[in-house]
Amino acid sequence: MATSEHHLRFEPPGAPHATVLIVPPLFEEANRTRRTLVLAMRALAARGFAAVMPDLPGQNESLVALEDVDLDTWQAALAGVAAEIDGPVLVASVRGGALIDHKAKAAGWWRLAPTGGASLLRTLLRARVAADREAGVASSVESLTEAAKSEALLLAGNRLSPAMIAQLGAAEVQPVEPLRSVALGAGGIAGTPLWLRAEPGEDAAMAGAIADDIAAWGAACGVI
Amino acid sequence: MTDTPATAPDTSVDATLRALLADILGLGEARAAALTEDSGLFGELPEFDSMAVATVLTEMEDRLGIVIDDDEIDGEIFETYGNLLAFSLRKVTD
Repeated sequence: MATSEHHLRFEPPGAPHATVLIVPPLFEEANRTRRTLVLAMRALAARGFAAVMPDLPGQNESLVALEDVDLDTWQAALAGVAAEIDGPVLVASVRGGALIDHKAKAAGWWRLAPTGGASLLRTLLRARVAADREAGVASSVESLTEAAKSEALLLAGNRLSPAMIAQLGAAEVQPVEPLRSVALGAGGIAGTPLWLRAEPGEDAAMAGAIADDIAAWGAACGVI
Repeated sequence: MTDTPATAPDTSVDATLRALLADILGLGEARAAALTEDSGLFGELPEFDSMAVATVLTEMEDRLGIVIDDDEIDGEIFETYGNLLAFSLRKVTD
């Protein structure tokens, strides 16, 4: 399955130190951050790293229906992508991407603002409730959660299977080693939480900071 | 916000709420600082759609350390900045 999905890839001018496998946030948050993450990939290439951002099955250009995948599918797909890369791999995940990055074999992991699945699911359910309210339909997080046990739900434009919803609600970030986990702000990445932004934004300075931090972590992991 | 000195929790809730709306709606510091009690949100700001409403609720829980029961939510809370601030202050002091 891994090979059938589109991969966005940037190469450095010479042989890469390592390949950075970018795991974007999940669902709408991926769209909001894509532009800045791709800028970070270009910046990584300028620092001597290859950078790859694969489409997850059911997302972007994938031919797979989102309803047919769950977090297990995504974890396996990323492990498959990592296994096909020549040379050392650094996994760099953002937000909910950190929930699916631990099955890949890597020389190191880097996580930006990792988050649990329960809060992502709560936001998706609330968006559906708010949209229903606007349409004059009464629904609640409780009634939707109950319905999701037996049927797929359309949440903020994503048709999610009962398996996906159950896995997301329970998903926690898994321990990996060696790991650098960074937040926004002092001691972390200077920037704003673009993944929350209603209209997709772009932050070139933040992209540069992300690339610098990943490159330094790569050096600490011994891939340079 | 006004000439009347606000108590410390009021000020910090107000600042947290403005920062959160700036992050989610991409308002920028100046527009966020210019919000008044009467500033319209849902239905007034084009960026404030149902997904933004959901994101605001989850971020309010995270940043203000509160739990919002979905029964407490009605359309009025998001009508104006003043309504949202009043709701947040009530939740924080509960």
